[in-house]
Amino acid sequence: MAVVERFKSISPAEFFYRNKEIAGFSNPVRALYQSVRELVENALDATDAHGILPDIVVTIERDAQKPYVYRITVKDNGIGIPENYIPDAFGRVLFSSKYVLRQTRGLFGLGAKMVILYGQMTVGEPAEITSATINSSKVYMYRLMIDIKENKPLILEKASWPNKTGWHGTIVKVAIEGDWGRAKQKILEYFKKTAIVTPYANIVLKTPDNEIIVYRRVTEKMPPPPKETHPHPHGVDLEMLKSMISETKAQTLLEFLEEEFQGIGRVIAERFLQTYGFDPNVNPKSLGKEDLEKLVKALREYNEFRRPRADHLSPIGAELIKIGLEAILKPEFVDAITRKPVVYEGHAIIVEVGIAYGGAIQPQEEIMLLRFANKIPLLYDEKSDVAWKVVAENIDWKYYGIEFPAPLAVLVHVCGTKIPYKGLGKESIADVPIIEHEIEEGVRAVARSLKLYLMRKQREEEAIRKAITIIKYIPEVARALATFAKSNPVNVDRETLEKKLFELVKMKYGDAIKNISSPWDIVMHTE
Amino acid sequence: MSVESKKFMSSVDVKARKLAAEKLAKAFEKVVEAILNGEEPKLVIPKRTLSNTIYDKERGLLLLGSATFERSFLDVREARKFMQTALMAKIIYEALINNEYPTIRDLYYRGKHSIRYRDHKGRTEEENTWDEQKESDAVLRDIEVYTGLLREEMLILSKEKGKVVGDMRIRSGDDVIDLSKMGHGAYAIEPTPDLIEFIDVNAEFVLVVEKDAVFQQLHRAGFWRKYKAILVTSAGQPDRATRRFVRRLNEELNLPVYILTDADPYGWYIYSVFRIGSITLSYESERLATPKAKFLGVSMTDIFGDKGKKPYLTEEERKNFIIKAKKADIKRAQELLNYEWFKTEKWQKEINIFLQKQSKLEIEALTGKGLYFLMDTYLPTKIQTQDFIE
Repeated sequence: MAVVERFKSISPAEFFYRNKEIAGFSNPVRALYQSVRELVENALDATDAHGILPDIVVTIERDAQKPYVYRITVKDNGIGIPENYIPDAFGRVLFSSKYVLRQTRGLFGLGAKMVILYGQMTVGEPAEITSATINSSKVYMYRLMIDIKENKPLILEKASWPNKTGWHGTIVKVAIEGDWGRAKQKILEYFKKTAIVTPYANIVLKTPDNEIIVYRRVTEKMPPPPKETHPHPHGVDLEMLKSMISETKAQTLLEFLEEEFQGIGRVIAERFLQTYGFDPNVNPKSLGKEDLEKLVKALREYNEFRRPRADHLSPIGAELIKIGLEAILKPEFVDAITRKPVVYEGHAIIVEVGIAYGGAIQPQEEIMLLRFANKIPLLYDEKSDVAWKVVAENIDWKYYGIEFPAPLAVLVHVCGTKIPYKGLGKESIADVPIIEHEIEEGVRAVARSLKLYLMRKQREEEAIRKAITIIKYIPEVARALATFAKSNPVNVDRETLEKKLFELVKMKYGDAIKNISSPWDIVMHTE
Repeated sequence: MSVESKKFMSSVDVKARKLAAEKLAKAFEKVVEAILNGEEPKLVIPKRTLSNTIYDKERGLLLLGSATFERSFLDVREARKFMQTALMAKIIYEALINNEYPTIRDLYYRGKHSIRYRDHKGRTEEENTWDEQKESDAVLRDIEVYTGLLREEMLILSKEKGKVVGDMRIRSGDDVIDLSKMGHGAYAIEPTPDLIEFIDVNAEFVLVVEKDAVFQQLHRAGFWRKYKAILVTSAGQPDRATRRFVRRLNEELNLPVYILTDADPYGWYIYSVFRIGSITLSYESERLATPKAKFLGVSMTDIFGDKGKKPYLTEEERKNFIIKAKKADIKRAQELLNYEWFKTEKWQKEINIFLQKQSKLEIEALTGKGLYFLMDTYLPTKIQTQDFIE
């Protein structure tokens, strides 16, 4: 989620230093991993959020001379960035003005800028951004750095050339200090899990070890792009309210409420203002600190607003989760469910759960849990995640016919404009009762479906087992009984008896043995 | 080869073979026909269980009841047994037409091979047609009751255990054998006693001795010559051939049969097998049992005496020869008490004395007292005074 707020008195460099750990750049291992995912998530946001099937190529190169220096290039086929916005989009921290909520991948709303800043501080090379918007006649390239004190882009080079192929998208190239050897595992895991929830994307990764890992598109279906929405009054705080007021064009408090929030119509706005004794005609910009605090409190507690809407959220959808699990894990059974939206602190949240069993999944003592928040894989702090609590503590898998070690994977996706992360790393979700409940109900639903599958499979296996118990003796019985067959009126040989006996077994077991066409599919010739 | 071998074979065998082969083929042709008609292949076999064993009081025989069970090839629990039954029938049939004389051990080896197959999970598995001889023996018994052919009739041989001597001549195969001219040895009763022909006999009764050693002592001391007896030993639990032979002596030659065993539950059971048949082989009782056989001894009253009967042993001898009964003996005696055919006044008395005294005695105790005491005192007295149990 990206709730962008104004931090007027703080320089981006200071901000970065203060937030290096929070943002995930605490050491070269984490930094490399974090840089890759920030850029990949931007690339995905530039494509699927706009209805474009993503084609993403990521290259990580090791510098030939300097140890621990890596060049990351991420290329997408997204909407591109208008030429005049490129410097600010990559060179000014907290560049954004419009106050809206939208479910996007970027965790901190800083994304590429953090990566560029980190690269600038550790390696010192300018970042290179190449981009073309849809139908743009030209491709633009900038080499830039960030002026830390002034918080503005420092353009070192600018070029453009004709867009002959009609390409659109963005290429970002940044050099940073990292540690591929130790980050490799997590980065590969990140790509694998990302591929699960974006089966409609082509993702290519070229590693410093010269490996090329390809996740091919397996479907052209995409989740509907997330829409922008106004905040719901239950989800505002004082800072947010101040920014909203500073940006609004509304002349009166009544208009402000009506236009800038979801869940408030004219009638509700009037009733609300009357209930709390606000003057509907006052200009919101003239409200003092006390009034604002009173207004926030009232907005959060008033019960008559309409419920927060969820139509701006973009769940992956059960269909795509199943396709993704199937393509990457190659299980024998898969199912998924998208739960109905619920409200958490004024924000709509949707939980999705997928399950995959057997096939290429190796049996493990613990469940394979695949966690996602707004389509981003969560790779750290698994055991403190509410989803882990649900699958490892709340659910008794024996009830669903599962005995560990089991080849079982469970996917949990939580999407919303506000997600209650636990800790600073935003790698695990806190056990909020409503979310825990949603996850548990979801897991139970797909586990029930797995149980039914396993029961059916067991029944089928049992039928095949029984049929084979008989079929395996057919050649022996036919050979023995052929001894007693009369040669009159026709000579009955062993093969005829085999065929007849097999027909009898087929009549009894029918469908269960449709894949067996003769006793000799089961019995092996012994010399 | 079979024609060639026939030349050296006795004519009785040839006839028996033909009969058995035809009967066996007929019984299994039915199954083939069912399969060709698309019907479930199944064998209807009389049950060989205690619950289907009936004691025929009038004839004094243990007989197979009328209960049957179906062995269907399409029944998962019976498929393996069905395969084994068909396999066994084929082996026996081939042995019959090839003029062979397989033993039950031969049948076991001929049929034993492994079936390799893929199981429902695709794993390669191996399974033997049968693992132990117990399994092949069981289906052989099934075939006997299913076809109504005894193994002897199918020319299946078993180890010879029973022996006989006495003043009589028999024809076995194409030879005449004089059972009074066996020297120190004895004639081993052949596994197919029905093919024996009795030529002439000079004897007044048959004495069957459980113990081979006692049999030899009596034989060499000239017991059978002196008392005009046919002397037989079963050397322990009687095999089928010995039982059938004894039965024929009784039935066809009208010779009374006396049986001498140890004085313990196992001796009693040996007697009862001779007389009425066994539970596992009740289907052959009609041909093997000798309902008129008498239990001569050693009885409990021989040891401890009875009202008006002096014991054969002195107080002193008793002390020396008696063996304390084991727990298993007591348990077995209690079981016998409940068998229908032991529910006679004399047997109940016999068993109850045993349970009360908790003592048993071997026949050898009597030869210990003196071989000639056994031969000239004990046996003649017991027979003359009709001191036996029926």
